[in-house]
Amino acid sequence: MKNFNWSKYSKPIILVAFVIILSVLKPAEFLSVSNFISILTSVAAIGIMVSGTIFVFLIGGIDLSIATLLSMSAVVAATIITKMGGSVIAVVIGLLAALAVGALAGLLHGYITTTFAIPAFLVTFATQSIFLGLAQVLSNNNKIACTWPAFAILGQAIVPIIFMVVFALVSWYVLRKTVFGRYVYAVGGNPTASEISGINVKLVSIMCYVISGFTTAMGGIILAAQSQQADSALGAGFTNDVITAAVIGGISLLGGEGTLPGAIFGAVLMGLLNNGLSLMNVDSTQSGLVKGLVIVVAVAFDAMHHADQSRKKAKKVKKGAAAPELS
Amino acid sequence: MKTRKLALLLTAVLMICLVFSGCERKVREDSGAAIAGGSGGNPNKKKVDIYGGEEVKIAYIAHDLGTPNNQGWKEGIERECASWPNIKIDSYGAEEKADKQVEIMTNCINQQYNAIIIQCSDGAALAPSIAQAEEAGIPVITLNLDCSKDTIHSALVMAVDYDAGRMAADKMAEQIGGKGKIAIIEGVPGLERTDNLERGFIDTVKEKYKDIEIVAQQSASFQKNTARTVMESFMQQHADLKGVFAINDAMAEGAALAANNKGKKGEICIWGADGEKIALEMIEDGSMAGTIYTNSWDEGSTAAKIALLMMSSDYDSAVLTETPKVIMEPIVVTKDNVGDISEEDRW
Repeated sequence: MKNFNWSKYSKPIILVAFVIILSVLKPAEFLSVSNFISILTSVAAIGIMVSGTIFVFLIGGIDLSIATLLSMSAVVAATIITKMGGSVIAVVIGLLAALAVGALAGLLHGYITTTFAIPAFLVTFATQSIFLGLAQVLSNNNKIACTWPAFAILGQAIVPIIFMVVFALVSWYVLRKTVFGRYVYAVGGNPTASEISGINVKLVSIMCYVISGFTTAMGGIILAAQSQQADSALGAGFTNDVITAAVIGGISLLGGEGTLPGAIFGAVLMGLLNNGLSLMNVDSTQSGLVKGLVIVVAVAFDAMHHADQSRKKAKKVKKGAAAPELS
Repeated sequence: MKTRKLALLLTAVLMICLVFSGCERKVREDSGAAIAGGSGGNPNKKKVDIYGGEEVKIAYIAHDLGTPNNQGWKEGIERECASWPNIKIDSYGAEEKADKQVEIMTNCINQQYNAIIIQCSDGAALAPSIAQAEEAGIPVITLNLDCSKDTIHSALVMAVDYDAGRMAADKMAEQIGGKGKIAIIEGVPGLERTDNLERGFIDTVKEKYKDIEIVAQQSASFQKNTARTVMESFMQQHADLKGVFAINDAMAEGAALAANNKGKKGEICIWGADGEKIALEMIEDGSMAGTIYTNSWDEGSTAAKIALLMMSSDYDSAVLTETPKVIMEPIVVTKDNVGDISEEDRW
């Protein structure tokens, strides 16, 4: 127990601690399958989006246009589906169009940041206004109802959770098991060294933004299906939510560090927090305070873990440096 | 040396305070003179010959142009003026920010608009701008939310708030048989209209229905998606929940979706307020039990009518002793009468 690495297992420990606390305080309400489904459905859109934006964070980029790109994609899907009468084919075409819009937006971000060497912060800061404007023009600043069964089903029961799991698994596989995944970490860790070692840094970066745009559009579709409507304000607040989930999950916004399970942990922890505070009837004016404190604790644990790792690395380097002297 | 510096600092602070208090008194005296002017009225008042073809500009300043209510008002204003090509209407959205509305108001005054129709984000924050516009001879018509009481302006066109809450409570009580557990989904505190609506609802339940218990109150910040999550936790906590009152329709729609998802469609009596198109459709299909409907198009059109009257006549708000009000008729809508609201009155 003395050698137990608390900081390494901080994420599962925090999750289990939360579940235990809520189970004791609200056993009947909290400990039920339907409640866990509620928690997961409430964070499904964030989970889907963070599965893609993690690629951008890992290369040291950022996307501030998540919220408005989400809204624009949802508005594109809803407009096309409405114009085509809401049939299954209309839904398929609407979804494909929205996903294409998301991917194209990502391509635009990737191309501008890599070709003109403009920081992603500035590019996505500018495009967020463009996407908002486009969403407002397309929707004529109105809410577009999306009640067609073929579309609404995407937001019902456990369908959003299935999408989140599929996106997370694919993202995890790509990051852990493919060459592209290794390139992403390499580019984020040291772009210059990656370039020298023959990695096409520009292409990898563009691909990361395309993936992020694609998953953001998918998040928008799921959110529109859940609320059965799309409008330019649909994504309000989601840029913060996605970045918060990533940061809680230990993803470094400087790039090169972080894992997908960490990001999903961040999203689920946010869902657990919202659910727990709601079940305990905590007023919304106080819930922000509690949420902030929990996020600070989660991030502090993660920082401890990183500090531990850095110390170990430093020790290894010292030993390595000392060895030749001895010989 | 230190004492001298302190004395200098104190003198400077006192001077600044004196200058500011002087400015404040000056503004009060000026506005008092304008109103007290009585028979003289406002010297800046301009009469425009609208029906003779003179060019006219009206500004519509929304709290958030993206909401159905604001869109309804905008369309109502545009419909009212559609027959007069010489009337130009410019709409501005303030992204829910009072300071942005103040900035837009200043621009409109500088650009010499002939009338301004505004839904104030914050009555107190907008009061000086409204007074400034009126002093410049630009009639201001406020929608739903009054600015501070001593800022007299051309008119306030509003939907019923406190009584609308009472109406919703009475009808919901009737629908659930006068007893059981109910919950409230709140908006953002501090907004006069929705605060009054909630107060009307709670007062009525407490005064008249002793067997109805309000078991939970949570905010969903007027957001449909947040209301869905809040409703899920309500259902989780209270399996025997009989009714939910959401302060606006968007949140009621979210709550209804959550109930539908849980296979409880129509089992929980869900009420909203506003009367937007999607809510009326949900009442028709049984997902929602009712709403308090206000015709937003009519409200916008009424505001435009008053603006036209103020611009084209000798009516002068400077001689008023209080802001005149037009209160829109609230209609309690349930499944029984939702069909009476025709397609052209759905916004």
